[in-house]
Amino acid sequence: MSSIISISGLSKTYQGGFTALKSVDLEIGKGEIFALLGPNGAGKTTMIGIICGLVTPTTGTVTVDGHDILRDFRQTRSRIGLVPQEMSIDMFGSVKAAVSFSRGLFGKAPDPAYVEQVLKDLSLWDKKDSEIRALSGGMKRRVMIAKALAHEPDILFLDEPTAGVDVELRQSMWQVIGRLRERGVTIILTTHYIEEAEQMADRVGVINKGEIVVVEETGALMHKMGQKRLTLQLAEPLTALPEALKADGLELAADGCALHFDYDTQAERTGITTLLARLNEAGLSVRDLETSQSSLEEIFVGLVGGKA
Amino acid sequence: MNFRAIATIYHAEMARTGRTLMQSVLAPVISTSLYFVVFGAAIGSRIEEIDGVGYGAFIVPGLVMMMILMQSVSNAAIGIYFPKFTGTVYEILSAPVSAFEIVIGYVGAAATKSLILGVLVLATAAFFVPLEVQHPFAMLAFLVLTSVTFSLFGFIIGIWADNFEQLNIVPMLIVTPLTFLGGSFYSISVLPPFWQTVTLFNPVVYLISGFRWSFYGVSDVDVGISLVAILGFFLACLAIAWWMFRTGYRLKN
Repeated sequence: MSSIISISGLSKTYQGGFTALKSVDLEIGKGEIFALLGPNGAGKTTMIGIICGLVTPTTGTVTVDGHDILRDFRQTRSRIGLVPQEMSIDMFGSVKAAVSFSRGLFGKAPDPAYVEQVLKDLSLWDKKDSEIRALSGGMKRRVMIAKALAHEPDILFLDEPTAGVDVELRQSMWQVIGRLRERGVTIILTTHYIEEAEQMADRVGVINKGEIVVVEETGALMHKMGQKRLTLQLAEPLTALPEALKADGLELAADGCALHFDYDTQAERTGITTLLARLNEAGLSVRDLETSQSSLEEIFVGLVGGKA
Repeated sequence: MNFRAIATIYHAEMARTGRTLMQSVLAPVISTSLYFVVFGAAIGSRIEEIDGVGYGAFIVPGLVMMMILMQSVSNAAIGIYFPKFTGTVYEILSAPVSAFEIVIGYVGAAATKSLILGVLVLATAAFFVPLEVQHPFAMLAFLVLTSVTFSLFGFIIGIWADNFEQLNIVPMLIVTPLTFLGGSFYSISVLPPFWQTVTLFNPVVYLISGFRWSFYGVSDVDVGISLVAILGFFLACLAIAWWMFRTGYRLKN
């Protein structure tokens, strides 16, 4: 996959002395969905702000489709659409006027058919003449997405797009993001809903205290860094873990009906065969068993927590 | 040049005025016209002529200039301050638009509004007092230059202001007193010599004097000096606006 955004040695220290980014290097591939995860204050919004022209970098370079963001700002910005985290929208105009304003601002000729399509895709066409202040919070957020798409960008930044929206709207936003990806739009999203990244993103980048901690394909990250848990349902409940099994890393469930065993799928020996043999030796009979994969959220907490 | 972006900003600003016609157009025209009624038609008839011009007609250029200064500053200031306040300025800053194009869009719209108001006030004044314009091109030049320069000044205030109080403090506490003391209602020749000298440090004196000259051919200071003064202020404002965008002062970071 060819790179559409290249970040090299990017740092940002604000006037007050706070360093938000520390020499970040990152490549974003064309057409991918990239999830940037990190706790509050990690540097996500600063990084997006620099790429979009809202924040001046202290050092480093960023190129968008081969163009430098400072020297060739017209070329880079015309390729980018931004949906900011805050609800920042002119409340006094109509939906259609707001979207047309965004298109004009990016130097694009009026195209009523395209604007209509964007509004229909976001289920806003019925509200095209409504004043924005009369819309619900979820609709306002969709108007912000429509504004970001008004100039037909190749890259879309979504900074916490589903923060504070209900489940139904979140699902519909995911559908919109999916359709954009099908059209070849590169999407970079930040989110606090880790399951969102898990389901949507091709790759995940974790940032903490201004540094990129890990960048990996979502599946590979979960495979590489995630642990699996084997749960064994016992035929007879236990009051305590037998002494002979205490050294095996087993954990007895609170109700005494199950045993949990965490193992690493990447390890040379998972220890499952030995465990089953020892259970047999201990005279424990197993009624059922299941395995589960640790979630991206658990991996994220492990990464960020370890660095904190 | 991103002409389409300039036009978009310009039209959006003009549309904002269209949504608030009462406040943006009617209110300043009526409040300025009240000066003509009170000082021109009512009290003016009891005041003797100044430099051979009836008092009612004498104050018209000063009042038009006062209204243009106030409206240019406040319109341009709110034009850029409001997007900052609501956060929508992100869209302007992330668009493929240069600082110069942003300034043309916002300042152009604010100056246009002031010019429209200036023409409306002049037309209204003609109902109450006899008006003559000896140098129409000079009058137009002063109107345009003043509108553009003070719109640029207002734009700078809009970027500088961190809250609504700061937004109003410069127009109310600086522009208004300077205008009242800048010869809107009198010729500075009636002041004692010391105060005449002090008044020459007031930049508004040069605007009003030059503008009044375009009407009646009389002025407190040489018209050439007036033009140089306003051009100098324009260039100073342009330099400050350029510096603000270059450094991202109160816009970025």
